[in-house]
Amino acid sequence: MVTVRDKVDLLVVGSGAAGSVFAAEASAAGKQVLVLEAGPARTPKDLVSSQLWARRHKWGGAHVEEEGDHRVGHNFNAGWGTGGSTMHHYGVWPRLHENDFHTFTEHGQGLDWPFQYAELRPYYDRIQDAIGLSGDATQERWRPPGAAYSMPPVPVFGQGRLLAEGFSRLEMHTAPLPLAINTIPYRGRPACLYDGWCDAGCPIGALGNAQTVFLAQAVKSGAVIRHEATVTRLLTSANGRRIEGVEYHSADGVLHRQYAEVVVLAAFTVQNARLLLASANSHHPQGLANHSGLVGRYLMTHPTVSLYGMFEAETQPGLGPTGGQLINQDGYDNKRAVKDAYGSFQWIIANAVKPNGLLGIANNRADIYGPQLKPFLQRAVNHLGVMTLVAEDLALPENRVELSSNRDAFGVPLARAVHNLAKPSAALVVHALEQGRAVFDAAGAREQWRGPQAGMHILGGTVMGVDPAKSVTNSYGQSHEIDNLYIAGPGLFPGSGAVNPTFTIHALALRAAEHLLRHWP
Amino acid sequence: MHPLRGRRSVVKALVLAYPLVSGALLLSPAQARERKLPLAVLDVEEAADLEAVIEALVPGSAEAGAVHFIDYQLARPAIDSLLMLRYLGVPQPHVNFYRSGLAALAQHAIARYGKRPSQLPAPVLDQLITDLITDDTPDWAGPPASFLYFVWRSDGVDVTYGTEDGMAALDTPYMAHIRPEKLW
Repeated sequence: MVTVRDKVDLLVVGSGAAGSVFAAEASAAGKQVLVLEAGPARTPKDLVSSQLWARRHKWGGAHVEEEGDHRVGHNFNAGWGTGGSTMHHYGVWPRLHENDFHTFTEHGQGLDWPFQYAELRPYYDRIQDAIGLSGDATQERWRPPGAAYSMPPVPVFGQGRLLAEGFSRLEMHTAPLPLAINTIPYRGRPACLYDGWCDAGCPIGALGNAQTVFLAQAVKSGAVIRHEATVTRLLTSANGRRIEGVEYHSADGVLHRQYAEVVVLAAFTVQNARLLLASANSHHPQGLANHSGLVGRYLMTHPTVSLYGMFEAETQPGLGPTGGQLINQDGYDNKRAVKDAYGSFQWIIANAVKPNGLLGIANNRADIYGPQLKPFLQRAVNHLGVMTLVAEDLALPENRVELSSNRDAFGVPLARAVHNLAKPSAALVVHALEQGRAVFDAAGAREQWRGPQAGMHILGGTVMGVDPAKSVTNSYGQSHEIDNLYIAGPGLFPGSGAVNPTFTIHALALRAAEHLLRHWP
Repeated sequence: MHPLRGRRSVVKALVLAYPLVSGALLLSPAQARERKLPLAVLDVEEAADLEAVIEALVPGSAEAGAVHFIDYQLARPAIDSLLMLRYLGVPQPHVNFYRSGLAALAQHAIARYGKRPSQLPAPVLDQLITDLITDDTPDWAGPPASFLYFVWRSDGVDVTYGTEDGMAALDTPYMAHIRPEKLW
């Protein structure tokens, strides 16, 4: 049995960074907006300060199969519930650089974006004003043009001071990390307490995320968020030229059909591609928006490794934002600086850490067990220093999301995410880690070690571009083939750059939402 | 008092029950173990082996109730699980992971050392852990042994040091915005 719902103007699939911006803009413009969120409703009181409880905010939907030598780590990166992955994101908001937008033209690597940085800059600036960013633009010598930050930077605690000294001794530079975290009250939201619980969600609203900013605006303007609504299929018109709506299952198992004038698919990188592929029909036998055959292709993730050191001095590693206190992007703009390597990288410095959790203190020395464990933890909670590498990934068509032969509880094929790291990217990581080790030495670490290499963020899979034969959407995320289908989120990125993507996701969504409202199909 | 603590707005936490008996009994994992409450998923031998290994990995985790914690999480709906395994790309239900891992562990221990893990003296148990870390486990039929080591060690750390009491034992402030309930 199918329940047919009343048609709405705009249907947004996913309540995260991108979907929330569309919902806010469209509802403010008077559109009737419905957001379908697969996960449960979350409110600030659900954001319990605990690395264990934080796990409820990570992906809880259909299993994602992963293959390759450098997997994207879907379940750690994806969110579950109101606000999607913004609920557990760390609020690290650097901008892409100007040279990230034309890597193919300049270097013959990856894909060009369909516009230059200057096109995106005003949207970065407006999002920055709406959310409120802390930082110090004057110290970010590598920063592309943009408005000054809304707030002063976060304080620097012990480990940040030590690591900054290490960079300085190598004649390298650090600057306050640009963060979507209030250092002073901003637009009705309070300042951060620097307790290091960002991963568990910020119940006081100091960290800017979908719940506290754009979803709140959307709901105030009349948008409706329907939770535990798992979209299983996108529906097209009889001639296949328009999208008519979606099918979704509610928590009670009932199948619903929801019609809309416009659909925005903002269900994060892997699920966006999966839904498009799984919605194939006679007019779109390869899946929706997939005449190019590129849906799912160019899957990317930032290679990341955390470095750790034990210092004689007190480092206060439990204090400050989880995302870090400082940033270094000294070599970012030279993607060919290292022989046989390619790409940019950055260091995010002095991440707050807790004893447990995947990125916690205990797990960064997984070789220590038994009677040695507690003394190590006792030393580390006072003397540990941390910094994290974020490196560029190359957009390669063979890295992909595809459909598995296995299916979920609703009969929809599972996603299989296949990702291998290209040799030039692997060489870049090796180079960067050598630099990082030198920094810890210069900072005076008594001992140092590295964590495992993993994937941070998930990008690509529905890349935007100018040529319909070489991309899935135009520069606004609008399908090349179906005018009233927009795709949003980091899946649009034709290149990864080497910065955390949430700021860019917001800026792209704002640009796209305004385009949609100007050219309502 | 920690210098930042005075600014913190402590909000009363949601109470999570530990419904081992008729939904009315609220216990921490340590209390549940102390009262020898029955497990919902793991059998007696599985529980004994798991406790022996996790205690060897993270001393204090047995008393903290690691096995009762894991068992309770395995019995919950998957989307409510607080196990770290939900991050790690292992398909649900996670009971299959633990059960097949424990079966492989017991088979290996018996084949190489003549006894189940829970019956091994400490020095031999330490050798068994080295086998796990190095994947020196011929004819192993479960999830990769070194991965099991990582997961079980993390579970032990969660219960022993991922709580307010655990961080107090490390002499480091917890600094909650919203305090986690001690009753799981």
